[in-house]
Amino acid sequence: MLVVPKGRGLVTGVWADPEVGGAPGARAGGGAGAAAMLFYSFFKSLVGKDVVVELKNDLSICGTLHSVDQYLNIKLTDISVTDPEKYPHMLSVKNCFIRGSVVRYVQLPADEVDTQLLQDAARKEALQQKQ
Amino acid sequence: MFRYQSLEDCPLDEDEDAFQALGEEDEDIDQFNDDTFGAGAVDDDWQEAHERLAELEEKPVANRERDGGGGEDTDLLGDPEDALAERLTRLVIDSELEDPAIMQAVQTRGPAQPGGLNSSIWDSSAVLQRIRGPLLTQEMPSVSVLDYALPQRPAQPREEERDPSERALPRRSSSPVIGSPPVRAVPIGTPPKQATMPNFNQQILCPKPVHIRAPMQQRYPPSYGERMSPNQLCNVPNSSLLGHPFPHSVSPVLTHLQRAQLLGGAQAGRMSPSQFARVSGLVGSPLPSVNPKLLQGRVGQMMSPAGGFRAFFGAPPAPPPSQPQHPPGPGSHLQSLRPQPQMFRPDTTHLHPQHRRLLHQRQQQNRNQHRSLNGSVGDRGGHRSSHQEQMRKDPYANLMLQREKDWVSKIQMMQLQSTDPYLDDYYYQNYFQKLEKLSAAEEVQGEGPKKERTKLITPQVAKLEHAYKPVQFEGSLGKLTVSSVNNPRKMIDAVVTSRSEDDETKEKQVRDKRRQTLVTIEKTYSLLLDVEDYERRYLLSLEGERPALMGERKQKICDMYDNLRGKAPGQERLSDDHFMQIMCIRKGKRLVARILPFLSPEQAADVLMATARNLPFLIKKDAQDEVLPCLLRPFSHVLYHLPLGTVTSLVQQLTNLPQSATAPTNPHLTAVLQNKFGLSLLYLVLSRGEELQSSDATTELMQDNQWTELMLMATRELLRIPQAALAKPVSTPSNLISLFSRYVDQQKLNLLETKLHLVHGIR
Repeated sequence: MLVVPKGRGLVTGVWADPEVGGAPGARAGGGAGAAAMLFYSFFKSLVGKDVVVELKNDLSICGTLHSVDQYLNIKLTDISVTDPEKYPHMLSVKNCFIRGSVVRYVQLPADEVDTQLLQDAARKEALQQKQ
Repeated sequence: MFRYQSLEDCPLDEDEDAFQALGEEDEDIDQFNDDTFGAGAVDDDWQEAHERLAELEEKPVANRERDGGGGEDTDLLGDPEDALAERLTRLVIDSELEDPAIMQAVQTRGPAQPGGLNSSIWDSSAVLQRIRGPLLTQEMPSVSVLDYALPQRPAQPREEERDPSERALPRRSSSPVIGSPPVRAVPIGTPPKQATMPNFNQQILCPKPVHIRAPMQQRYPPSYGERMSPNQLCNVPNSSLLGHPFPHSVSPVLTHLQRAQLLGGAQAGRMSPSQFARVSGLVGSPLPSVNPKLLQGRVGQMMSPAGGFRAFFGAPPAPPPSQPQHPPGPGSHLQSLRPQPQMFRPDTTHLHPQHRRLLHQRQQQNRNQHRSLNGSVGDRGGHRSSHQEQMRKDPYANLMLQREKDWVSKIQMMQLQSTDPYLDDYYYQNYFQKLEKLSAAEEVQGEGPKKERTKLITPQVAKLEHAYKPVQFEGSLGKLTVSSVNNPRKMIDAVVTSRSEDDETKEKQVRDKRRQTLVTIEKTYSLLLDVEDYERRYLLSLEGERPALMGERKQKICDMYDNLRGKAPGQERLSDDHFMQIMCIRKGKRLVARILPFLSPEQAADVLMATARNLPFLIKKDAQDEVLPCLLRPFSHVLYHLPLGTVTSLVQQLTNLPQSATAPTNPHLTAVLQNKFGLSLLYLVLSRGEELQSSDATTELMQDNQWTELMLMATRELLRIPQAALAKPVSTPSNLISLFSRYVDQQKLNLLETKLHLVHGIR
């Protein structure tokens, strides 16, 4: 997924987080869990828009973003495989669920994104994490 | 055994000896065999042991039956577990596991609870008892997960007796070794017949790792808000014309045997979800009573605690759907969740009302398209029936009970509870706020506001301050190290070493300088975000705190300005260097544009002057980014507040006039005029000057002269410059014509007009 640049100082030390395993959910009580919420919030605002999701196995799926969850799993409706149909098994599929961890890129409509707001959100999140 | 140095040393005739040795071993093998499988092996007749244990168990059970009169079935299973639970609570010093991450899955135990039964959000004891009652006549299968925690369960033999037909595997002898495969009375993978809540709670108390496997058939894991069963919560399950893409199947409950057949030996550990699901099946009722924390911050504002909580997950079942304009409940602007039957999602998701409106519109469009394609309204019925057909034919339907699905969804939803939705959900909320503002602005220009302005209220969980204490046990030596999200283990120690090399190259210095500037920009950005946030905080704060807030805000603004201009307390700010560094970076320019509204007029004028002074340099640096025009709007706002004197000097700076007589060309001015931003800025300044002059008749004479001279020179220059060299400005103010008309005659005025496209009709 996209990498948000961290504009703050260096992070000293690497912390082992035993909860890692596809579930970076937010916790009621901590700011550290909020890192995952930025893109969740972002994708929520894109629900209902047409996106193209490129997976790590090079499959590109174009569809309407139906929903997203805190793991950034994506449900698409009315999908079509964008590239020439070398994936004929997808011909009959109308809706799909994509696990968040297999997504490489999500191509978005540019006018639906407020980059300044996104940058602000990222900065706030960086501040929060630092605290 | 082999004492040869190498393979070659091994003589051939040794083979016979080796075989002989093997032969000797054969006899040993026989003996081993006997010990393992034969007479020697039977230390203990498992069947006998089983009988013994069974008798042991039946006695207390029988006693209780006699005492209790046989009607209190519910206590049968409750009591052994309760006793166990009590013992465990006594063992654990901190009965409340402080780590909120762990307790998230099950709500914190109140130590005062009777019998140690948990008042988690998944159940209340009463509910549990009620549910367990009718199902108790059948067997109570053991919990495989539980076995990891409590390896010896005296209850098992009893169960096995009750339902021998279910038994697929012969029992092995109970192993005292913890962690060995569990003894099962029922084939692995069989879901339970009844809920066994306390078992699960006990295992939370135990520090041993508990493995909970997700339920098998997770077809469509619920996303943020869409999952509550339609038959429970909403009135119209499958109402969308398109056919809901992720149909909720109405689930007939399979019998125990059918399930076992379906799942076979699929998995162990399926107990827990089912347990939860069964117990928590009643979504609405038990929850509000045990979850006041969820609504602490918001009770006054939400519909009702029960409704509010449900609203967090989905639509409230009780109030009627589709009251599109005027919701019940306090405050017309608060109801952000309204079940709308014809929606794309049959149950409401927690969407911003603007977002929902947009989605709805989109759905309408699609629906209309479909309608035109398919022809008739009878489509709806067609879709429904095809759904039902699908549901009938689908062999994998209904593997999960609705309660189980709810359980899974609840886990996810609980993870989404946030203490500060403004921060956690920053992007979404602000994005739609901006959209609403835009549409409001548009509407106000048109007719009066048509739609009601609804706000999105996100339920907020109160922040619980946890001082995390690791779990301790009585009588143990030392402490357990359990690392979790709140208490992670440090894996790598990275030490920051600052470089203080003397022989840094020039490039490195430049790079470092740039990095320094970047860091300054980021620091200033955080200040800026804070300052922008003050308005909201001001509204939320109490009266007494407000002056302090204002003071903080002012301080931060000063800090920002210092950062911009290069901190030089007590010094004259002689150099624009620092400021220029910032302005060379794209981020920096945007930063300046955002900061300007907060600065005082003097400070803002200062910034403006610095920009004008160095404009050619900036233009050159901006060639790639082309982001300078973003500064135009804040600059124009600043200009409104400037007096004529400042405006005059601004023009001076911009045009680099008056020049010495020897200079043939004016590269400064040329550069300015050739650049879009430069030209636009010049126009703005000129127009402002003209405004001031025409409005204010009492300006000092000296200034008038200065201004007039400047204008004369400027117009001369403008006339001189070829039209091709002029950039296209962002906007041309209308009063420029009147400005120029003061200083030039009609002919030149016409020239100027055509050159600068001052008359709008020409374009």
